[in-house]
Amino acid sequence: MTRFPFAATAALLFVSATSAAAQITTTIVPPKQPPAAQAAAARREAAAQDSIARVTLTDMKTWVDSAAASLALRPDTGAPVSDTAAAAPQPPTPTDTAHAAATPQRPRAEPEFRDGARAPDTATSLPALALAGGVLIVLGAAMRRRAARATSRTPR
Amino acid sequence: MRIPSRVRGRGRSWQRTAGSVLIVVGSVALLSAGTSAARGAIARDDARARWAELDAKRAAAGGRRVATASRRDAIARGTPVARLVAPRIGLDEIVVEGVGDDELRAGPGHMTGSALPGESGNAVISAHRDRHFSSLGRLVVGDTILTESDAGDVAWTVTRIRVVDADARVLRATKTQTLTLTTCWPIRFFGSAPDRLIVEALPVS
Repeated sequence: MTRFPFAATAALLFVSATSAAAQITTTIVPPKQPPAAQAAAARREAAAQDSIARVTLTDMKTWVDSAAASLALRPDTGAPVSDTAAAAPQPPTPTDTAHAAATPQRPRAEPEFRDGARAPDTATSLPALALAGGVLIVLGAAMRRRAARATSRTPR
Repeated sequence: MRIPSRVRGRGRSWQRTAGSVLIVVGSVALLSAGTSAARGAIARDDARARWAELDAKRAAAGGRRVATASRRDAIARGTPVARLVAPRIGLDEIVVEGVGDDELRAGPGHMTGSALPGESGNAVISAHRDRHFSSLGRLVVGDTILTESDAGDVAWTVTRIRVVDADARVLRATKTQTLTLTTCWPIRFFGSAPDRLIVEALPVS
């Protein structure tokens, strides 16, 4: 009887050791890294292609014009550079640093002041809307209450 | 003759349904009005904060700048351009550029193309009668109005108050400093008010 537990223990150790080994050996193999020299060569290739791409930009004129226009918006850079080859450039809109938090311009649809203009349309339907809403709610509640009372009075 | 209970029940059901529909529609209307009012309050607070910021910048710069016509044209709509105070009626509002819906929600609007208060010419400021100019009807001839803007601080005296038709062409270009405040009339009116209240003021001599 004393040998059986020993045998059982040995068998359990064997089995558990096998499964543990299986768990340990089932690891995720990291992807193979290219050799350092090959990686360096790839990086050099990418850098070379990037430089070539920058050199072969085709629309350099547009880029230069846009850069000149953006520089002209700065207060310390004089008049904007005009481009005679292109369409007549629009003068930059004067900016006001004090009003930097202003909302962007939208298409104008409101009246502008001129001699003989009408007063701006300041009419609003907000009070009427609020009143109508209140009246409708009261009316609806009254109708529901009336229906509920009638139901409770109906003889069964 | 007795109405069958089945018919009576159908009528009660119709009443319940109609009542529910009215409550829903009324709630939507109230919610819409409340949302609009809340958006107005937020926009007003924003305009006040921006005005305070501009005021602090001006103070840090050592004073106010004089607005020119070219600079005025560049002011974006919605930008705070002036402060309007009428002490007797408790009016103290920040005026924003433009008289569109968005601008009038934030505060009284300065009509684009008119002079800024303090400049030569007619400065036209308009607002909704149920919001920022709800007390404008209490102004009387001789009342004092104060304005602050890039063009300077000015004290005005109300010289003329009149009610005109909404289509009346009442705004006039002037060479001297003039302040014109407009809103809808009657102030207490449900629906689209048919008239306009025009308040004109001249600088205190």
